[in-house]
This record gives sequence, structure tokens and C-alpha cells, in this order.
Amino acid sequence: MRRKTAIALAILAALILASAGCGGSSSNNATGSGGSETGNAVEGGILRVGSINYIDSFNPFHYIESQAYNAFIMLYPQLVQYDYQNGAYVIVGDLADSWDTSKDGKDWTFHLKSGTKWSDGQPMTAEDVAWTINTTVKYASGPTAVMAPALAHVKNAEATDPTTVVIHYGAPVGNALAQLEQFFVVPKHLWEKYATGDGKGLKTYAPEQDIGSMVTGGAFTLKQYEKKGTTVFLPDPNYWGEKAHVQAVALTYYTNADSMIADMKSGQVDWVDQVPFNAVDVLKKDPSIVVQQIPGAETTNITWNSNPYKDKNRELLDPQVKQALSMCVDRDKLIEVVFNGYADTVESLPGHISLYENKDLGPLEHDCAAANATLDSLGYKKGPDGTRMVPATTGKYAQPAHPMEYRIMTPTSLDFNGDRAFEIVKEGFAEAGVKVSQWVGGDSTAAYEIETTDHCDPKTNSGYTGWDIAMWDWVGYVDPDFMLSVVTKGQWCSWSDTGWDNPDYDALYEKQGTTVDENERASIVGQMEQMIYDNWVYTQLVEEQYIDAHTTAWDGMDPHLNAYAKMYWTRPFKVG
Amino acid sequence: MKGFDYVGKRMLFAALTVFVAITLNFVLFRTLSGDAVSALRCRQCTQAFKDYQREQLGLDKSKWEQYQLYLEDLAHGNLGKSLRSEQPVTHELWPPLKNTVVMVALGTFFSIVFGVLVGVVCAWRRGTWADKGGLWSGLAFYSMPPQWLGLLMVLFVAGWFGLPTAGIKDPTLGILGDASWWDVLVDRFRHMILPALTLGLVLYGEYALVVRSAMLETLGEDYVLTARAKGLSNWRTVRTHGLRNALLPIVTLVALSLGFIIGGSITIEYVFSYPGIGLEVVEAIDQRDYPILQGAFLLLTLSVIGANLLADLLYFKLDPRVAG
Repeated sequence: MRRKTAIALAILAALILASAGCGGSSSNNATGSGGSETGNAVEGGILRVGSINYIDSFNPFHYIESQAYNAFIMLYPQLVQYDYQNGAYVIVGDLADSWDTSKDGKDWTFHLKSGTKWSDGQPMTAEDVAWTINTTVKYASGPTAVMAPALAHVKNAEATDPTTVVIHYGAPVGNALAQLEQFFVVPKHLWEKYATGDGKGLKTYAPEQDIGSMVTGGAFTLKQYEKKGTTVFLPDPNYWGEKAHVQAVALTYYTNADSMIADMKSGQVDWVDQVPFNAVDVLKKDPSIVVQQIPGAETTNITWNSNPYKDKNRELLDPQVKQALSMCVDRDKLIEVVFNGYADTVESLPGHISLYENKDLGPLEHDCAAANATLDSLGYKKGPDGTRMVPATTGKYAQPAHPMEYRIMTPTSLDFNGDRAFEIVKEGFAEAGVKVSQWVGGDSTAAYEIETTDHCDPKTNSGYTGWDIAMWDWVGYVDPDFMLSVVTKGQWCSWSDTGWDNPDYDALYEKQGTTVDENERASIVGQMEQMIYDNWVYTQLVEEQYIDAHTTAWDGMDPHLNAYAKMYWTRPFKVG
Repeated sequence: MKGFDYVGKRMLFAALTVFVAITLNFVLFRTLSGDAVSALRCRQCTQAFKDYQREQLGLDKSKWEQYQLYLEDLAHGNLGKSLRSEQPVTHELWPPLKNTVVMVALGTFFSIVFGVLVGVVCAWRRGTWADKGGLWSGLAFYSMPPQWLGLLMVLFVAGWFGLPTAGIKDPTLGILGDASWWDVLVDRFRHMILPALTLGLVLYGEYALVVRSAMLETLGEDYVLTARAKGLSNWRTVRTHGLRNALLPIVTLVALSLGFIIGGSITIEYVFSYPGIGLEVVEAIDQRDYPILQGAFLLLTLSVIGANLLADLLYFKLDPRVAG
């Protein structure tokens, strides 16, 4: 059970305000370089942000792009949000001042801030929260399916008074607050007309088509929207939290990162939310630009087809073989050559960003001699051309003797040089006597189709054939639930890109989902990470750094808060 | 009657081509792996959401049923709805189309003016430094990939002249106050300069080379020699006897190019984040948004077929030999 009191939040808010409002450099634990950040905070100014991600919707029930999620954070209230304090993510209140849970962990009571208003001046109450929750649950299998995962196991919600809402769960939920952090409240008085009949109106309503009648309740309001151009946000005077320092935020979408960097260098952009690796060194040399680096959420991996029912190249189901091949990959070289040095090694699937990262895993050593010894001992002898041979096997999944020659599938949509990364892996595998060739799988959709294979069906264990190895990436999250889910059988033909089928693991996944005690949940999650690691479902290679840059005319940007908090947008200020 | 036959046949051929293109438009995109729903790779895209989407978008129907519906809708002038935004395709394509047409018109205007001018001067002053300069500049720009030339513009030209490299408007224009129509116009024009110039330079190279070649051929004709023998000035000989007769292949080339320019601007729009039809197509491919792709490719196909038809008709008008 967790409880945060209003007093603690008030103290916290005061500390945050003090740190943001006093000017000077921000203390966000990011590694910074470039120009010096000195001077006082000046209220006002238009913050021009460049991004390679665009906003596709302002409807929280219907969106795809990650930048849309950022827009929701700016525009809609959440019960809770993340902050980054003393080197760690912590849940803090947004619309909720405090909260408590029942002993069985099934009822969560949120005490809301009083006197809050929507952008049209209407009062924002617990009824809005309860209505949004109940409506999302009601249409969870259709129109509201996008936001429904944030309310997993929720039965219903009730507003017991204008500032108190109680959420009733069907089962205790281990990550209730982390899930609710991804839940946005919409104004009942505007949206209830769409929640009729089959509820399809909830999904098709596009608030951006009539900005004048759009009702929001976040730190900002929407002033202008161009899907493939600039979107402008203005601070909302009704907002109850940390007030924005800026007069406006103008977020411009770039399809070409080189143009974005050129515009930043020429002073037409103040802040770039994601700097490509090849541009970091150039920006660092510019004294008028500050580059900030933090550990990122994106990890790259070797994805092993771990479908236990596959009929070919079954030697690659053996964790010892996969480990041996992984030990021949020079990850330091990958970091230097492919990521220009802006990446770190990683072992666990959820990555360093996860609150429950199992830090006891590995590390995977680069020791190809030991790897060769392992493969020798397993009976995979090298042939005359140096390629190892797999002896014939018998039984249900009998396969003839064959050389260890495989294809590695790489999608074309990687945000790093996949060809170069493949070459480094190929070199490593060659040292182990394994020959690989690159198989370009097309864009992410086409590559994903290759992995899951036609006629994929978990009920008949079909799918996940026709390929053996891929190289791809995952973007993790602070709470590890989603990342842990992608290797469950429940995600076959959906999010699973390995075809792994391990009932013991799936049972642990269910257990962690209903374990409220944080320490106990952390222990289960740790076990699950160990299982993924020991079975070499993935070989985690590196974790990309997340790098942003801003001009010295601005300060207060904290890259840790991107997509996690309203403060990401309210704290930046102009330097006087 | 011969003229009517010619025009009629051309129109019929164009109509048949349109039908084939419409069918290919349908088949082509469905041979790609995956569909609009399998293309959804977002954390919140649950299986329940995907199943619901497939049903709502009609992707659970057979391909034949989808084709019939597609033809039926087209016959009613309905291009369908975007699978992603669920807005009508015409609504989605109209703003980018407007942006592209203006930018392409500006680039084409530039290329025609300078291409014809340089081509004429090169032919007129054959063998001189002016000819060599025009020839080499034409060859250089014609052989450059548009996206590479665009990147050079971003890296070396934009900074010098303080020109924007992305979008169609200044992000700060009119945010805190109203911008006058003049400010908006100037701003739009500034954002159009680099993409239009990139397109214009690539086309300029092509036009200059073709005009030079056509002019050289014409200037070698006997009637030009006769004109000179009659004592006409050099310029008048070039203008009235050379250029006018060389116009035939030039007009055809420009008409044909117009059809392809819309499609050819895809890479340029991508480099300059220019929200035109090209950018829309790239993203629709990535998202397997069939109706948008079908709408955009129908538009591109129609523009190519229309331009071909225009070229045929112009030939008919300009060259009496065609009319017989």
C-alpha cells in the first residue's frame, strides 16, 4: 500500500518550483555539454521545438504516434504523473492531491485538487474522472481500446464527492499508479454526447477539426494545429499545477533531421527533442547549444526465433548455442561504430529505464574463444571451410545434418545503421564458425509479418516459422509490465516477435500483475528477467542514449520527463 | 473528321489507361506484406483494438469484396476514408495537393524560363564559353539526385540566405497576434524557395539540354540559312525561325514532365519536410493506408495521363503533319 500526503506533495511542489524558478542551470542529472547556462529566468518567449515525430491526433481514444501522447500530457489532466527526482522516477500527483488503497488493494481512492476548471471555465470534478473511467471500461473492446490497457482489471469508478473518486478493481493490481499515469481524463460535458450507441463517436471525434470548441484541462491549450507542420500551444490560465514560463510552445515536425539541425544552428529552433547520433558531435562544438545526454529507453537486440514448435534449425533453440554466438559479438565496437559512442551495454529486456531492472544479469562477455569451446563441446564441429556442422537429429522434430548457415532479418525502419550493425554481428558469428547473411525485411510492418508468419494462431501454435534470427529494437518504459508482456504466449501473433512459449514465465507474468507489494513484485520481475536472459530469447546488445539539445537562450529542459510529465513542458524558461 | 478521330482515339485510350491504373492501384498495395492494422506498432494497440479496427475498416472482408466496394465508391466519386485518421481521403489530400501544386508551379516556371533561355543561348553561341557553361551546368543539375541537391541546399544555401529549410510557415507567425495577409504571403514564399529551387534546378538541367539540342538541329536547317542570307539579324533569326520551330519537342517535354513532377517531388518534399502530396504518400505507404495511397496514386496517374493527353492534343495543334 502506498500513500502520499498532501503535505508531502506541497513540499515537493515547492521544491520543484524553487528549482525551476530560480534560473541558472537545471539539475536533472543529465550529462550536459556545450554552451554555459547562466542567467536569470525570464517569463515569456515562444519556445520553438523541432521534432522528427508528429502529432496525429488530439483524441486520447484514437492515436498512434508517440508525439500525440506528449500532446495529451500537455492538454489533458491525469490523476498522477511521473517526476524525476534524485536520479529516479517517482509517481507524483497531477489532478490528484493524494491517494490511498484498501487493504486488499482492490479499491483506490483519489483525493482531487479543488477549484480546478476546464479551459472553457466549467468546473473539473471527480465526476469527470469517474465518467471517463466508466466510459473507457464500457467500450474497452472497441472504441476506447487504446486507453483501456491503463485501466486493466478496473470494474468501475464512482465520484463520492466533487473531489473524491474511488476506482474499484476486480483484482489487486501491482502497477495501478503506473497504469493510471497513462490515463487521461476528458471533460464529460463535451464528450458524453459521443458515448452513445456503439460508442464509435468516441473514436472518430477529432477535436483538432474545430480548435475553437476544443475543451482541455492541462497546462496548455491548443492554439493551432498543422499535422505535418507546426502545432502551437498556449499556457492555460486555469491550470492548477506548475505554471508554464513560456508564452507559447511551437512544435514543428521535421521529416529530415539534417534540416532540423541546420535550423537549430541558424537560430530558427530553440530545442530539439531528439538529436540523431551523427549530429551530436557537431552540436557539441557549437558554444551556443547545450547537448544533454541521458540513458535512453530504446534497446537494440538480436531477436532469436524461440518458437519451440519450429521445425528447422532447432539448434538455435539451445540457450547455450545462442549464448555462445552472442559472446562473439563485439558490443563495444557496435557502440563506437553504429552509435558514435552514444549507447551503453544493457542486459535486461526492460532496460536501464525500468524501475525493476535486474542488475545481476550478465554481463555478457566478449569472449569468442570460450564461445568456440562451448560450441565444440556441444558437438558442432567445424567443416573444411570453417563452418560448423549440426549433426542429424531424430524424434518428433528430426532434422538432417546441415551447416550452421542462417539469415538475419533486419527491418529497414531502424533508427540506426542496421547494415553496419549486421556486419559487426556477422563478423562475430564468423569467428564462431557460423555463417550469416542479411535478409532485408522491409519496413517494420513487412518485417513483423515475416516474424509472425502468415496464418499465425496461438491456439494451434502456428506461426513464427521461416526465419531464425532478426535484429531489432524495443522501447522500454519506467514500469516494466509492457516489456515483460511481449514474450508471453498471450502476445503470440500480436506483440511477440520471438514466438517464445513458456508457461512458467506466463504464470509469473500474471502473478506480478496482481502483486501490490512493491518489493515482492520487484522480486518476481527480477526472476522473469532472469528467465528471459537464461533462455536467450533476446541477446540485448546496447541501449541507445537519449539526447536532446537546446540553445543557451533557454534552460530548464529535463529530458528524463519527456512523455512522462507536464513539467517537461512547463519548466523550460528563457534565460535573461 | 480526321482530327475528330485523332482526338477521340486519344481520349478513349486515356480512359482505358485510367481504368487499368485504377485496378492496379487496388492490387498493387495489397501485395505489400501486412495491412493498415498490422502496421500499428504502438504500446496501446491491443489485439482487441486491432480486431475492432479490422472490422470497422472492412479489412476483414475478402479482397474481391473490397475491390467491388472500391469500384462502387469510385463510381460515386468517393475515394473512401483514411484508415488512420478516418477522415475522407479528399479531405486529407486536398491541403497537401494545394501545397505541392504551388511549389511545383514555381519550380517549373523557373526551370522553363532559365532552361529555355540557357538552351537558346548555348545553341546560338555554340562552342563558346557561354555554351560550355550552359552545357555543363545543365548536365550537372540534370544528373544530380533531387534529394541530394536538396540536402546541399539545406547545408550550404539556407544558412547564407537565412531561408527556412522545413515546413510551409514560420512557427511563430501569428501566434501572439494577427499576421497581415502580406506577412503570410511573404512567409509562404520564403518557405517555398528552397524546395522549388531544387526542383527547378533539376528540371532546368533537362530543359536546357533538350532546348539546346533542338535549337542546334533547327539552326542547321536550310530555311535558317535562307533567313540569314536575307539579312535578318541574328536574334531575329533565332527567335522567329529557330526557337519557334524548336518549340515542338520542348512543349511536348514540358507537358510530359508536368505529369511526373508531382510524383518526382516526393523526395524533395521529404528533404524539406514540405507538407505536400509526396510526403503524404510516403507516410501512407509506411502506415499501409490504402485509401490514401489509392487516392494519391489515382491523382498521380490522372496527372500523367492528363499530361500525355495534353501533349497529344498540343502536337495535333502545333504540327500539321499529325492532323494529316
